[in-house]
Amino acid sequence: MRRPLARYGRLLLVQLRASVLLGMQYRADFLLDGVVEVFWVATAIVPLLVVFAARPSVAGWRFGEALMVMGWFTFLEGVLEGTISPSLISVVEHIRKGTLDFVLLKPADAQFLVSTARIQPWRALNVLTALVLFAWGFRALGRGPSAGAVALAAVTMLSAVVVLYSLWLLAVSAAFYVVRIDNLSHLFNAVFDAARWPIDVFHGAVRFTFTFVLPLALMTTVPSRALLGVLPLRSLVGSLAGAALTFALSRVVWKASIGRYTSAGG
Amino acid sequence: MTSILRVRALRKEFAVHERPPGVAAALRSMLHREYKKIVAVDGIALDIQPGERVGFLGPNGAGKTTALKIFSGLLHPTSGEVLVDGHEPRRREDAFLKKIMLVLGQKQQLLWDLPPSETFELNRAVYDVPRAQYEATMRELTALLGLEDLVKRPSRTLSLGERMKCELAAALVHRPRVLFLDEPTIGLDVSMQATVRDFVKRYNEQHGATLLLTSHYMEDVAQLCPRVIVIDRGAILYDGALGDLVTRIRPDRRIVLRFSRPVAESDLAALATVVRHSAGESVLQVPKEAVNAVVGRALANLPVSDLTVQSPPLEEVMSELFARNRPRAATGEAPP
Repeated sequence: MRRPLARYGRLLLVQLRASVLLGMQYRADFLLDGVVEVFWVATAIVPLLVVFAARPSVAGWRFGEALMVMGWFTFLEGVLEGTISPSLISVVEHIRKGTLDFVLLKPADAQFLVSTARIQPWRALNVLTALVLFAWGFRALGRGPSAGAVALAAVTMLSAVVVLYSLWLLAVSAAFYVVRIDNLSHLFNAVFDAARWPIDVFHGAVRFTFTFVLPLALMTTVPSRALLGVLPLRSLVGSLAGAALTFALSRVVWKASIGRYTSAGG
Repeated sequence: MTSILRVRALRKEFAVHERPPGVAAALRSMLHREYKKIVAVDGIALDIQPGERVGFLGPNGAGKTTALKIFSGLLHPTSGEVLVDGHEPRRREDAFLKKIMLVLGQKQQLLWDLPPSETFELNRAVYDVPRAQYEATMRELTALLGLEDLVKRPSRTLSLGERMKCELAAALVHRPRVLFLDEPTIGLDVSMQATVRDFVKRYNEQHGATLLLTSHYMEDVAQLCPRVIVIDRGAILYDGALGDLVTRIRPDRRIVLRFSRPVAESDLAALATVVRHSAGESVLQVPKEAVNAVVGRALANLPVSDLTVQSPPLEEVMSELFARNRPRAATGEAPP
């Protein structure tokens, strides 16, 4: 195999191309998706405005700081809804119809193929919105981020994306055993919604769960602290270790699930 | 010559969850599940040489599709050995996957909302097919299958037959050396079946590819496969030339007679067993060695306008073979 990295890079481009073509095949849907997206992002800010209208800070987070969390949440939601979720939902469809056969027959990593199968181009709007929220937040704080903080935030966000992807892959692997995981994905989305708030808002068992079990803290609070330049070293280490650990775990579970695949029909 | 497909003592078991009908049974099964072991493939052994065209025959649930899925690496065998051109399929090595393809008549790999050409392009990238070779392959496939107008329309707008042609093209982008075909003509009309058959045969002849095919249409097998492997309840009942199988199971011949004026059935019954009798046409069943004598007497005594001698239909041969196997399987007795 000549240079696998270059090969998978080419494969990624071909897969993206098919997704974009698919998006454009239905021009009206494409346009509607965009409009709906703008609406969702706008409504997402309302709860924040309501809470901070009454008090200057929540659990030690000022309005400008909370906007960072909201910014990362919007960004991550875009990654989830734009790339991870549509691709992995199509795996469930493949398993139900038995067409995962065709994925497994291809001489390329099956996890790579299914994980890059679908993207929703309109979700790129979330990235722009996140940038607007960051700018707004820093304006409210009356300062800007340092270059080091931006770099650190990018690293921790990458970790967050890996964690999010791995958790989704674990959920999808469950589909090999139970076939229908619609409820699991609804639950996942409902819980993920809590990541729009800084972790300090939560207490006790909920906080423990969101830190270690479903590491929402890793996803938005840690990158926000990084961007604000107040990230403790142990959080950075925790973020990287958490990402490596969940990724390794999800890979092992995925491989085991593929081995159990019994292929539907006939 | 070394076999391209070598199978020894292959066995595949599935654990199937079973429960009686009804709500009470459903509730009980939530607490305690009973699993039954189903043996889908029961110790089969076979060898296929490069370039052979082999038909895999058997009733529904005989284990044909399971066997093909094991050969192509989708299912892991419970025990036994499978080697495809030296590769163990279950390891799913890239080098192995680039040599084979499994075409499933009942499932589709074409991207539903995009034109088939996009699926071809995707497969080109996945299989690392050099651009020049890809274009040559596509030219050939387009000409042979008549794809010109089809490849630019979204797959969902194609008819079943058109889609199958594109499925075949998508499966052959990387020019597999071993082609497993599971019911490739299912649901197609007679002329489309013939098109698919001709195409598959030509691919085999031009590229020396090995074919292993399952089909419910005996015509597919009769036209395509000099060798057949008959499988029932996971075990091989017959492996050899199709003609020999017919002679062995049904050594009799069919004499089809047409008459210039009506003939009484009793006159025919005096000659041989009457299979079918109508005003215009009658069919007699005759032992092979008696064919000459019966034909002579029919021509001498009856107003024959047309006469042909045929082998019994393949469907009948098959159902007789399976029927013979059933009592043996049920009682454990030796076949007659």
